[in-house]
Amino acid sequence: MSAKAVVIKNLTKKFANPGGVGEFTVIDSISLEVERGAFASIVGPSGCGKSTLLNIVAGIEPYDSGQVQVHSAGGTSNSTARIGYVFQSPRLLNWLSVEDNIKFALEAQSIDKKRWNGQVKKYLELVGLSGQELNYPLKLSGGMQQRVAISRALAIEPDILLMDEPFSHLDEITARKMRVDLTEILQKARPTILFVTHSLREAVFLSEEVYMMSLKPARIFKHVRVDIPRPRQPEDPRLFDLEKNLVQEFFAVLEQNLR
Amino acid sequence: MKAPAAKLFRPDLLPGLISFIGLLLVWKAISLFFLPTFLPAPMELVGRVVNLLSQSRAYLVIGKTLERVLIGLILSMLIGILVGLVMGRRRVVEGFLDSWIMVLLTFPAISWAFLAVLWFGISEIAPIFTIVLIVFPYVTMNVWEGTKAVDKALIDMARVFKANRALLLRKVLIPQLMPYIFSSLRISFALSWKIALVSEAFGVGRGVGKELTYWFQSTRADMMLAWGVSFMLIMVFIDVTLLRWWERRTFSWRQIPVA
Repeated sequence: MSAKAVVIKNLTKKFANPGGVGEFTVIDSISLEVERGAFASIVGPSGCGKSTLLNIVAGIEPYDSGQVQVHSAGGTSNSTARIGYVFQSPRLLNWLSVEDNIKFALEAQSIDKKRWNGQVKKYLELVGLSGQELNYPLKLSGGMQQRVAISRALAIEPDILLMDEPFSHLDEITARKMRVDLTEILQKARPTILFVTHSLREAVFLSEEVYMMSLKPARIFKHVRVDIPRPRQPEDPRLFDLEKNLVQEFFAVLEQNLR
Repeated sequence: MKAPAAKLFRPDLLPGLISFIGLLLVWKAISLFFLPTFLPAPMELVGRVVNLLSQSRAYLVIGKTLERVLIGLILSMLIGILVGLVMGRRRVVEGFLDSWIMVLLTFPAISWAFLAVLWFGISEIAPIFTIVLIVFPYVTMNVWEGTKAVDKALIDMARVFKANRALLLRKVLIPQLMPYIFSSLRISFALSWKIALVSEAFGVGRGVGKELTYWFQSTRADMMLAWGVSFMLIMVFIDVTLLRWWERRTFSWRQIPVA
């Protein structure tokens, strides 16, 4: 259980200034590790660079210095590692049926065609969408579309599943249901997850590891283990206590930031 | 549930109806002053069209022209889409080609018809060459514009899942360009058959354009009108049946979401 799925060392990312002169540091020397099978969250205020960090791990955003390694179960190369991504919005291909959206990811990953139907069936069932195979995304509710996106990401059996505030576009009641369902899905699929959110409550409820990120430039100032056993209840008082403590720390750091 | 019976009286159609009847009356009135071969009355023209379309020879002629229209149209669409797509995706190519597309768009269309006969003589190449040179720049413009409106978030999604270029093109880019491709297809079709007639008038053994020159030299305006109207009817028929059906089928995924 001690194998690492993701290792980030001293990662630094700079963006050019909007004016065009000079650059500013978005991510300042971040290091973190995610163990295989673990659920790690990064919590930080909006605009702190969390999504940028995920995009770097996903390989679609360059970085300036440091190391980012995604280890696949077999080798260690970034280019062979399978990366699943659940974005803020579902990002489905609306002209393809639910089934074909999942097959798109399977085809992209060069997974054997013979396995496609089995994977589609398995992972749609897992997210509670059996029977929707031939439906089109625009006919589904926002919550259901996000479930399709989750099953698309799980279907490739990723070495790391990146999730970027996946419930932030949903209404709170749907989001709450999705969080509980996600923990149930994880019991069965057991992926490694790097999850980004601005909600401490969401992070402590879902994760084993919580990394807290400060603003401008983004630094990780605290790493907490959440040892509350699963299955967890959203109303568990231990979660509330932990959240309360962490929120206070957050404000202390943010105030320093602003000073 | 049965749809309610269509209302017989539609006030919104009234202005159109009045102008149509008005035009027929004015036409009829003017035609009284001329020979039917110079300006036929509305019913006389209808008679000529019916007579024409009941001869099998007319279909051979129209079929020949239609063949050129289709070949020219298909080539224009293929070249137009390819060039537009590459221009939209590759800055360098865009820089190389954009002014040339503008030149082609502004070059007087009729010159191509003449030049084609000079260069290729009386052959099948001349009308097709003319159609392609006039029509493909329109398709390119449309598709090029379409590539600017492509959703970048979906391209990132495809990159994260490691879709190769062919898959990206087939499942992500082309579907997003379909509205642009269809609008250029309908414009191109209308353009192509009009250009085909002009181009045929200069050369070519058989075709609707040739019929028009023949009847022009015989100073038979009635027969020129009859050929023009007959061909137009068939083209409009293809447009409203085949093209619209195909368009509806392609965009069936765009149904209004069920709330």
